[in-house]
Amino acid sequence: MKKPSTHDQEEREFGEEVDSLWRIVFSPLVWVFHFLACYIVTAIICAKMPAGDTLAGLRWFILGITLTSLVGIAAIGWRSWKQWGFVDDGVKVQDLPTEEHRHEFLAHASFLLSIVSFIGVCYVAVPAIFLDSCR
Amino acid sequence: MSLRDDANGCYPPTEAMLDEPVDEQWQDNSKRRLRDVWKTPAGWRYWSAVNNSEVGKWYCLTAFFFMMCAGVLALAIRVQLAVPENDFLSAGRFNQFFTMHGSAMMFLFAVPLFEAISILILPGMLGARDMPFPRLSAFGFWCFVIGGVFVLGSVLFDAAPDSGWFMYPPLAIESEGIGSDIWLLGLSFIEIASIAAAVELIVGVLKCRPPGMRINLMPLYAWYVLVVGGMILFAFPPLIAGDLLFELQRSFDWPFFDPDRGGDPMLWQHLFWIFGHPEVYIIFLPSIAIAAMVVPTVARRPIVGYSWIVLSAVGTGFLSFGLWVHHMFTTGLPALSLGFFSAASEAVVIPTGIQLFAFVATLMVGRVTLNVPMLFIAGALAIFTAGGLTGVMLALAPFNWQVHDTYFIVAHLHYTLFGGMIFPVLAGIYYFYPVFTKKVLSPRLGKWSFWLLFTGFNITFLPMHLTGLLGMPRRVYTYQTGLGWDWLNLISTVGSFILAAGFLLFAWDLLRPKSREPDTARNPWNAGTLEWTHDVPEEAWGIRSIPYIRSRYPLWDQEKLVERIDAGRFYLADAAEGKRETLVTSVLDAKPIQCMRVTGPAWITLIAALFTGGAFIFPTFHIYTPAVICAVFAGACILYWLWTSTAPIPEQDRKPVGLGLSLPIYASGPESAGWWGVWITMLGDATAFISLVFGFFFYWTTKTDFPPVGSEHANLLFMLLGGAVLLGAWALTLYARDSNTKGHVARARKALVLGIIASFTGMALVIWSVRSTGMDPQAHVYPAIIHALLLWLTAHVAVGVIMQGYCLAGSLFGKLTPRYDADLQNICLFWHFLGFTIVVCVLVMGIFPRWL
Repeated sequence: MKKPSTHDQEEREFGEEVDSLWRIVFSPLVWVFHFLACYIVTAIICAKMPAGDTLAGLRWFILGITLTSLVGIAAIGWRSWKQWGFVDDGVKVQDLPTEEHRHEFLAHASFLLSIVSFIGVCYVAVPAIFLDSCR
Repeated sequence: MSLRDDANGCYPPTEAMLDEPVDEQWQDNSKRRLRDVWKTPAGWRYWSAVNNSEVGKWYCLTAFFFMMCAGVLALAIRVQLAVPENDFLSAGRFNQFFTMHGSAMMFLFAVPLFEAISILILPGMLGARDMPFPRLSAFGFWCFVIGGVFVLGSVLFDAAPDSGWFMYPPLAIESEGIGSDIWLLGLSFIEIASIAAAVELIVGVLKCRPPGMRINLMPLYAWYVLVVGGMILFAFPPLIAGDLLFELQRSFDWPFFDPDRGGDPMLWQHLFWIFGHPEVYIIFLPSIAIAAMVVPTVARRPIVGYSWIVLSAVGTGFLSFGLWVHHMFTTGLPALSLGFFSAASEAVVIPTGIQLFAFVATLMVGRVTLNVPMLFIAGALAIFTAGGLTGVMLALAPFNWQVHDTYFIVAHLHYTLFGGMIFPVLAGIYYFYPVFTKKVLSPRLGKWSFWLLFTGFNITFLPMHLTGLLGMPRRVYTYQTGLGWDWLNLISTVGSFILAAGFLLFAWDLLRPKSREPDTARNPWNAGTLEWTHDVPEEAWGIRSIPYIRSRYPLWDQEKLVERIDAGRFYLADAAEGKRETLVTSVLDAKPIQCMRVTGPAWITLIAALFTGGAFIFPTFHIYTPAVICAVFAGACILYWLWTSTAPIPEQDRKPVGLGLSLPIYASGPESAGWWGVWITMLGDATAFISLVFGFFFYWTTKTDFPPVGSEHANLLFMLLGGAVLLGAWALTLYARDSNTKGHVARARKALVLGIIASFTGMALVIWSVRSTGMDPQAHVYPAIIHALLLWLTAHVAVGVIMQGYCLAGSLFGKLTPRYDADLQNICLFWHFLGFTIVVCVLVMGIFPRWL
């Protein structure tokens, strides 16, 4: 437990992040948008495309949004990594009743979710490497 | 959200303040007052109780009863299949039985039980007196009872649904009798109750934690509740939208799923499984959350990898929405689409696995005491892992094609559900039983029932993998001999009776009278979380005083915590004004911000549920006038309930809550629990609306002629005009709120009156723009989906008008003032969502069809 004097300082430093609970879902949300974009665009193209056309354009599109999504997730992950500050203080378990631990906990969770989302985006993009037809 | 220390007094409390002894005379008096306020009604009035401890118990027992009924159906199915060419059940009755077995287990047991257990134990874990909206829990419970009895009762009259628990059209649409209607209306009714519970639980976790329980300190169970509540909000509404379309076709012949008139049965499959797959995780996560509470206790150490488990709960919650098409691999979707879903189905294994590894790690580094709850958790891990592995196999499309609709699927889903739900829940019942009954279940009977269940389960379902690989399709009422299935089926049937014996033994242990047995010790497992501060013998007040929390395991880490709670040293130890109260705290750091008055016993919730039931049950028999009357009465009951008991104007602005802290009694806008409740409800509502809009674009994608060439469209001019006037009604509502805040009451009232007029005018114009044309909803799916959207918009504008009128009346009768304006804040939030609905409706009904 920190002393009251530092408590005030923490208050100023971290008090403004009421919305940071939302931040932990940003990376999974990127996964959602990537997934929906792949699914919806494929569904429309496969339904509306004349038979016999190749899917080259679609696969480039998927490559493009995949890279964009990965960059986005990496950025969120990097930001959370900085906020977590593991290299600074080495705290892995944020179980103290302080603003600092709460702050770093949300960052830690957000960082881990970025890793899972990153893997998830890669997984979803893999079929587009191997499949070149709607059927 | 930030707390102004000067305004509210002292927070956080210092150790010296907590050490100060509490006056004994005051202790006795305040205890008496608190007991009086929270007293459970006696005699026949008992059923008017709304307290979470009562409603939670009824909810659990009702769900358990429905499970036993559905289990009996399963036994009948197994008897019929024991030998080839059996005639124990006729084909028709067999169809009803397996449909009801699945439907009841899913909708009447698995999902409601999550809500029931959470309502029962969550306030205890959070050191809260009750849930934030106790009457909403009670209303949800009564809806569940009425709907459940109606749906399950249909089996006794040979009128049950018989098209399988996922009700695929065209079979379910063409099905004769009222079975499909019972399924659709009865279960929609229960789904709405589920959403109500989800709203309550989310608000409970976010706003009703004890002071100091920051978000990094909350029990993992609360994290899971938050995730699952969110999932319910996005998973159930698509099914409700699907049910609406389905019932419109059954009742009024609007051809949403009829290919001859442009419809498409595949839309149902999509809507159903967008619900159905997340639902599996909605069942699984809260049950595994119980494991997250039991494991640290038996390992006698804090959980390993708290952040990792949070990651796994949140990650699973998201990824589970990307799996729905793996139930539809054989429907001829593009191979690339199947690939996406196959990949996501494999990806979800990662977060799901992480939490199991975290549990195993905790057990490895702790000093494990093997008790009955731990036995069930161990069984759960073994069974779920096996189910997970067949899940990985089934996520591969080519393997899936081979075993689609065979007993391999039946084996897989029972392994995941027993391992992921039944066993952890049984562990939870053994574990938490002392909290809500003050007795313990017999360890001897517990071990017996565990081994009967575990062996019975495996004898029943392990052979089914092979039965399925040998080609036996599911849902056949009998089979010929000589296909190699005979002995496997016989083994499964024998196993099912061993399994049933295990359940019976458990039921006996659960329900046998225990009045002669001594009361339990207060913390029999030596657990570290707050629910174990419960009072023995029972007190209805929830917790004697609401503690200040500084640890994930306060009972292990905070010295003298229980003594201080009992002495009334902490917050809200008294009920000086004779009102039921609980604390509202901030979302992240749980700083106390409000002393919220909660509602007490009432019959109105039961009456409202009866009328709501009527509104859903009469249409099953195609009787519409009484249904409309019931709906009107249900609305009136709910309005009465809101008017008389929500956001009452307090007799004083703020009150001392103990430890030198003084809190406001009234809150409005984002500070209040009610505003969060509306926000979360509307998120679910918006999801249902988006599902309808998805239907429109689904038809456009899959049909070459949607909208058909030369078909009539809604009148564009009237549509745009109507939309603009409706948006004006929205603006007027916001203007009313702002004027009221500034103290211009008369101006606010005028704006509300004009808003009501604008709502009526705008809606009339929109209706006219569709109805003045020759668009016939029975002729083709295009006019039908336009009419469905029109119906949705009309219903929502009607609710918006009622809300405007409610606030106008509130202002006139002094319930709503510039200072006390929660109702007006809340309806503005509703109108924001309605504004979105209006814009999308005008685009989809008026502009897109011309443009596509």
